Amino acid sequence: MKLSLKASQRLWTFAFLVVPLSVYFVVVIGPLLATAWLSLTSYTFSAFAPPEFAGLVNYERLTGDDYFHTSLKNTLIWMVAALILPTGGGLILALLLHGRVRGANVFKSLFYLPITISMIVIAQTWQWMYQPDWGLLNTLLKTIGVEKWKVFWLSTRGLALGAIIFAWSWQQVGLSMVIFLAGLTSLPGEMLEAAQIDGANYRQSLRRIVIPLLLPSSVVVIALAVINSLRSFDLVWVLNEGGSGSSTLAVQMYRETFKSLRAGYGSAVSMVLFAIAVIIIVFYFRRVRRLEHLYD
Amino acid sequence: MTRLHRALVVLLVPLLTFGAVASVVAQEEVNISHYFSGELNQENLNTVMANFTEATGIGVVDSPIGHEDFKAGILAGVASGVLPDVFSYWAGARVQFVVDAGALQPIGDMWDAAGLDDVVPAGVADAATLYNGERYFVPFNIHYAAFFYNPKVWAEAGIEVPDTWDGLMDAFAEFEMQGIDPIALGSKFRWPGQFWFDYLLLRTAGPDYRAALMAGDASYEDAEVVRAMEMWQELIDAGYFVDGANAYDWVDAADQVANGQAAVTLMGTWIGGRWKGQGLVPGEDYDFFDFPEIDMVPQAGVGPIDGWVMTAGADSASAGALLEYLVNDVDTQTLWNTSYGSISPNVNVDPMAYDVVAARAGASIANAAVYAFNYDLATTPPVAECGLDMFSAFMDDSSDIAGTLATTQACAEEGFMQ
Repeated sequence: MKLSLKASQRLWTFAFLVVPLSVYFVVVIGPLLATAWLSLTSYTFSAFAPPEFAGLVNYERLTGDDYFHTSLKNTLIWMVAALILPTGGGLILALLLHGRVRGANVFKSLFYLPITISMIVIAQTWQWMYQPDWGLLNTLLKTIGVEKWKVFWLSTRGLALGAIIFAWSWQQVGLSMVIFLAGLTSLPGEMLEAAQIDGANYRQSLRRIVIPLLLPSSVVVIALAVINSLRSFDLVWVLNEGGSGSSTLAVQMYRETFKSLRAGYGSAVSMVLFAIAVIIIVFYFRRVRRLEHLYD
Repeated sequence: MTRLHRALVVLLVPLLTFGAVASVVAQEEVNISHYFSGELNQENLNTVMANFTEATGIGVVDSPIGHEDFKAGILAGVASGVLPDVFSYWAGARVQFVVDAGALQPIGDMWDAAGLDDVVPAGVADAATLYNGERYFVPFNIHYAAFFYNPKVWAEAGIEVPDTWDGLMDAFAEFEMQGIDPIALGSKFRWPGQFWFDYLLLRTAGPDYRAALMAGDASYEDAEVVRAMEMWQELIDAGYFVDGANAYDWVDAADQVANGQAAVTLMGTWIGGRWKGQGLVPGEDYDFFDFPEIDMVPQAGVGPIDGWVMTAGADSASAGALLEYLVNDVDTQTLWNTSYGSISPNVNVDPMAYDVVAARAGASIANAAVYAFNYDLATTPPVAECGLDMFSAFMDDSSDIAGTLATTQACAEEGFMQ
């Protein structure tokens, strides 16, 4: 039997898609559905018995769980910080290094370097920076004669989360910088020249032309930073295991599931995290579509 | 033979041959996982495993995991049914937990055939290897928690090592006056705080009460626990602990004692392994003394017994051979324990092989009326999480003992029900 060209194309399309889609189902969709199901059960690793349906019990419990409230609040704080620190820092660096700057490529490489390093290594590095006795930050304070300001960066409530977010932003800022640099490179030069001829100074050009035209890059940078902020587990875990009020939803999910062995409850936490991620991603894609429409 | 048949033969023969060879090789290999990674004596374990392969011809495929990650990782493995043939574990509630899950294989036949009753002292064997009436565990080393200190710092301060609780309090007060932090504690990763709870409770309420608490037959809101916590609170309020204990890990605390910044740290004998690795001399640069008696109760020693277990699906011949070798081979036991700062469970290890500190730790273990596993090994893993959280939170804020204990009790009740 000879297939028509269209049917043959469809068959090949299907044949090529079946493998990646199967893999995607096994490693993403399947675990997602399993987690959603587990979140509706009272399953614990310690019971060594099949999961039993428990309805919304885990979600009800979340509403009264102080640790969850702290984790949720911290995750939201982290998301807001992700809007400001890596995005703002990346934009400033990109503006500084764009154009004819001496040694720009060296600086670009240096600022981008942290993003190529494993988060565990980043965490270990900052562990040393924040060590109270001989860490870099306290040593600097000691050097300038303010030894009495011995700061316990990772164990002081109200400070620990900020210290961790700062370390994370330090890594993320390179990625933002590169995206903004790409955006700056693609700016239409004639528009800036026209503004210059019309007498616009640097600040005016920046405010009226550069930043508005960097909007597509900003959307990418912000979306990446916010989505990365939701995955904030490894850094927190290595630095202080979410102690001193620095837990995030990802950390609580791990602790509930793999430390306290409450897989059902841990799954409920992860579903909340998933819901937040979905809202952001939907917002991101709608925004991108609007921008595409605008620029078309 | 058609061309297709020939092609199939060409393809299948090497595949089948490889499969057969691989299956033979697989029988001669034991997959192991353990937490003796990095500074926890990984190097010497590599030597031990290489020696085992040389002696028996059985290969060892090693997958070490970080100490703290191991606790979660192995339980996830038990839940998913994916486990190595042999893994290291802590005697006590942890082994009981995986035995109850049906994840382990009894080793009674191997134990009897190897005559291990003559190798491991009955007290250790009874406490560490028997679960639900059967043997599942071979002990590899015994650690002992005590006050470790730098003798030179104490000598310079002109303070005698105390042997009573009052003497210890006086020593702490004197160190405080001299500007030296009396107690180093690195509780960033929670577990180092447990030794304070263990010893204060054991020395005041006694081992029977503590065993009942660990089993869920007593409450964290009982007067016994409140008293232990109040004593801990007094030490914190007196400013005896280093500031920001939760900012440090146990290695930081060890360094603080070694460099004279703090007078003591309550830690296990593995601290000696670290210090020896740094070139410190046992007995000269570091030493220990027992947690003093507080009330007239049986004086318990505290610490973990590390060992190895064989999983249900493992080949009992090769995995059993490894387990037997690890506890029975005197050279292995000597190398491992003398380098790890621990005490061997094998009675055939020459006592002269130990350094002075380890030898004294062995004597303390022998003299203890009861040997108790430390908190996170004495109670079930979910409940251990409740307590570890409490110890860490208590170092942050020790003002509300009743509230802290009520939270822990609620958490423990749920943990015991799991």
